[in-house]
Amino acid sequence: MPLRPKNVFCRQAAVKTTILLSVVFFFALFSGEASAQKRFSKNYPAGQNVRLRLMNRTGTVTVEGWNKAQITISAELEAPAANIVPQNLSGVIDINLLRDNQGREIGNVNFTIRVPFTSMVDIETRIGNLSVTNIRSALVRAHITSEGAITLTNIEATNVAADNTIGDIFFDGEIKEGGTYRFSSSKGNIALRIPFSASFKMVATAPSTRNISLGSFANSETNYLGDGRRVLGKFNGGSATITVTNQRGTIAFLGR
Amino acid sequence: MNCSDCKELIGALMDNELEQTRAADVREHLAFCPECAVVCEDLTSILDACKTGTSDIVPPNSKALWLRINNVIESDVKTAPAMPPPPAPRSWGVSVLRFSAAVLAIAVISSTVTYFALRNYVKPATDDLAARSSATQTTFEKVLSKIGLIDTPQQARERRLKEREAAIEYWNARVMTRCPQWDRVTREAFDRNLQVLDESVKDYTTILSQDPEDELSGEMLDAVMNDKMNLLRDFADL
Repeated sequence: MPLRPKNVFCRQAAVKTTILLSVVFFFALFSGEASAQKRFSKNYPAGQNVRLRLMNRTGTVTVEGWNKAQITISAELEAPAANIVPQNLSGVIDINLLRDNQGREIGNVNFTIRVPFTSMVDIETRIGNLSVTNIRSALVRAHITSEGAITLTNIEATNVAADNTIGDIFFDGEIKEGGTYRFSSSKGNIALRIPFSASFKMVATAPSTRNISLGSFANSETNYLGDGRRVLGKFNGGSATITVTNQRGTIAFLGR
Repeated sequence: MNCSDCKELIGALMDNELEQTRAADVREHLAFCPECAVVCEDLTSILDACKTGTSDIVPPNSKALWLRINNVIESDVKTAPAMPPPPAPRSWGVSVLRFSAAVLAIAVISSTVTYFALRNYVKPATDDLAARSSATQTTFEKVLSKIGLIDTPQQARERRLKEREAAIEYWNARVMTRCPQWDRVTREAFDRNLQVLDESVKDYTTILSQDPEDELSGEMLDAVMNDKMNLLRDFADL
């Protein structure tokens, strides 16, 4: 039976309405995603002795050293999006989200920053993971006020400091002659992977677990104090100083 | 004969020791030389004076004279009062005891001044002393702590903890005013971390109540209190 013209018109109108609603719904959904996830990107020319100073609030921070005289900063901003106003002051790249967003709630900001591998790196966050890799300079500092993991790999720095409250800390790098290395956590596992030939003296304290594994570094020049809560050691002359404190977690030295 | 020959022979002429011919020559020269004649007259008058005055000078009894002189000297020596020695020039001579006391006083004063100067200069007192055990105290520090000039490690730790508690109380009040504005994730993270730190504080406090000499626990308690203060301070800014 042939359709009547009125029915055909109604059916076509329904199809058009459905397509229109679908398009509206799609754009609404897309625009919603766009507002929730913003991006930030900025580049700076840099010398070899640049210093990166970053203060994040929540989110992950990844810093990578590369063989270019350039700093690239990219960030993914979750809603509500934070203001990011980097400052370049006489060789210091300063990013401070607490300063730039005082009095307002902001979402996570996940940074990926590339710097010349000779740069000094000083990064900090209230909550979130920190990762630094391929840095050969005078300073690497990573501080998490509360919880988050810290991963420092391929580091050749004379001063290294990493501390958090809850979370693991992993360091894989060289121990420079006369350098200072401090690692501190309240609850987590601290693992240091360093060369067998490293010259350092060490104070490792794990008062709660008493779990301090020296691995291949265990030798006659180690002293256990306080019923095993603290270990003092001197290896290959003891040039550098390593201080490790873990209130309620384990400490492990891994030789390579 | 010349004048010099004449003057040399004048003495012998006075003593009649010259031959006749020689004496005649001297007298002839004296007759014609007024200078030599004056010398001869002077010498003659000296000899005459000696010959005439000898009887007045020589004592009649020389032995008796010497005895009298000797008696006078001996009597003077016996009766003379003992004279005080002349005053010595003022010197810095002091007794060994005084000298030792002065050296000791200087050493103590200079050591004390140096110690406090260094202590204030490097400012290790609050953190380091609180973390140090009595076993690692120097003898000088022990002496100072005995007499109350500096705190013992336990006293320093207690003082430090009181300061930390006051700071924690302040920052905790700040956090309480800010935390209602935090999102759920931040609030939960803060609570978790604070709980971990409080558990550590509780553990170390318990250990120290049983063994106040456990310096390692004291050091850890100090560190945890510091971490707690930093946590509160950092989150008070959020």
